[in-house]
Amino acid sequence: MRSLLSFERVSFSFGHRRVFDCADLHIENRTCTALIGPNGGGKTTLLRLAAGLLQPSSGRVLFEGTNITDLSRRDVARRIALVPQQLDIPFMFTVQQIVEQGRTPYIGTWGGLKARDRKAVERAIELTSIGSLRHRIYNELSGGERQRVKIALGLAQGPELLLLDEPTQNLDFGRLVELMALLRMLHQEDISILAAVHDLALIPHTFSSVVLISPDAPLLVGSPQEVLRPNILEGAFQCPAPAFDFNPDVYPRGEFAL
Amino acid sequence: MRTAAVVIALILLLLCTIVLGVTCGAVHVSLRTVILALLHSRALSAEDRVILMEIRLPRIFAAAIVGAALSAAGLLFQGLFRNPLADPYVIGSSGGAVLGATIGMVLLPQVSWLGFSAIAMMAFAGSVATIAVVYSLARVGGTTQVVTLLLAGFAVSTMLSYSSYFVEVLDRDYGLGLRVLASWLHGSVEVPRWTQLGVIAVLLVASLASAAILSRRLNTLALGDEYAQQLGVHVERVRIGIILTGSLLAAVAVSLGGLIGFVGLIVPHLARLIAGPDHVRLLPITVLTGAAFLVLTDTLARTLLAPAELPVGILMAFIGGPFFLYLLRRRKRGYAT
Repeated sequence: MRSLLSFERVSFSFGHRRVFDCADLHIENRTCTALIGPNGGGKTTLLRLAAGLLQPSSGRVLFEGTNITDLSRRDVARRIALVPQQLDIPFMFTVQQIVEQGRTPYIGTWGGLKARDRKAVERAIELTSIGSLRHRIYNELSGGERQRVKIALGLAQGPELLLLDEPTQNLDFGRLVELMALLRMLHQEDISILAAVHDLALIPHTFSSVVLISPDAPLLVGSPQEVLRPNILEGAFQCPAPAFDFNPDVYPRGEFAL
Repeated sequence: MRTAAVVIALILLLLCTIVLGVTCGAVHVSLRTVILALLHSRALSAEDRVILMEIRLPRIFAAAIVGAALSAAGLLFQGLFRNPLADPYVIGSSGGAVLGATIGMVLLPQVSWLGFSAIAMMAFAGSVATIAVVYSLARVGGTTQVVTLLLAGFAVSTMLSYSSYFVEVLDRDYGLGLRVLASWLHGSVEVPRWTQLGVIAVLLVASLASAAILSRRLNTLALGDEYAQQLGVHVERVRIGIILTGSLLAAVAVSLGGLIGFVGLIVPHLARLIAGPDHVRLLPITVLTGAAFLVLTDTLARTLLAPAELPVGILMAFIGGPFFLYLLRRRKRGYAT
């Protein structure tokens, strides 16, 4: 079976700093995967490589078996969407105008939005429940609202794979619960998800698999039960094992629906 | 549709300013005379005919073209730099225009082609050449850093402006030429010949068509270069398109009106107040507002002190400067308007 996303012996450096060295990774279709690892470990770089925004210095990034560099930018944009940490927008664009930009890969130079595009925009707005925000100015939204708008923008691209770079950043507890519910719902809509997250406690209930980036070690992929073990995390995060003294199997699920 | 209504209203406004411009001036020509002449029921007197056909109308059209070109260029550069404070000269075309005009003034005072003086042609060539130099300086490893573009533009433009003083010092008829040049540099719309207007109108239409193609991409660029790239946009190509189109528009304006500040800065702001930030709707609104605005200001410039004339650039600084500061002060939010 072909993986949705594969890294084959991927190496990448920023100048002299080597971020990945012959990294291998396979993400299967219809999975909801958490990407974890210490700060500066390469989570954002991995997502940008996966979106084709960076090219590996050697090795290949494959999407459904095709080298991503062989696909046109527009083709990639129709299949993979990356929701960035920060999205700063000059001028007073409304939420609706921003989400409509997600249809860019489907629109020619002259054409405007067609019925199909409007439908996709409405669907993205509906899934992320931002209907009430549509005429608001993006710059005036709160962090949690912006997060939803950014995800809607990504969904408007109609992707098979949604990449999220630290979507939980700056969210209060209530917004965090909402976001996790949204990710689970998207997963049920058959969108595969790869999300960089910091809060390990969020993982067991929402994500079906985990990718761990640790310094000087190959990427580790497994179920939350396999990866979220104190002895594994201790090495990756360079932090004493008792800090990870939670048992993923019994970590609260029902009460907070995290 | 709301945009269509605004566009129609602006076309009417532009026509009103043109009519106002035709009737006002050192010699008053009544509206009735103009209308009757248009309806062919009564021919104009020879004197009125010269005033209208050889002086006023060409100048009004020139003002409209300059206003439209500067405003559209301002809109393009503000979109490119994702910053509402960019103007048509932001990447240095003004410096090249000044040096070109000075050289034209000093070395080739008698040359003219299709009605264009050496000053106009050299200014046009200077601004286009400067953009080419600035762009190649800012291009590193296949991409252009926007901040580098701004800084390189500033440095090159300043160097060229000061070089023009050097050329002036070398000039033997110093005094006379300097005065002509100064009036040109302060921005004044000259009375062009119809052939000149024809050439310029073709350039304007071509660059506005290119701007219309780019306007949708400008909305995507607002999300940032990397996001635009993620959405399948060839960012570098779009950027070159914007720089070429904006510079051509600025050069078109320079060749007819010298350096007129503030128009390219203010008009896109005004248009955003009317139509919001969507560049597809903004472009026609910006172009029409800019044309009407400059026709009106130029009419004021030639009537306020009639029979003497104020360079329109000076008037624009008097009106545009305070207005711009007002906009700046009411900008409470980060990137508003």
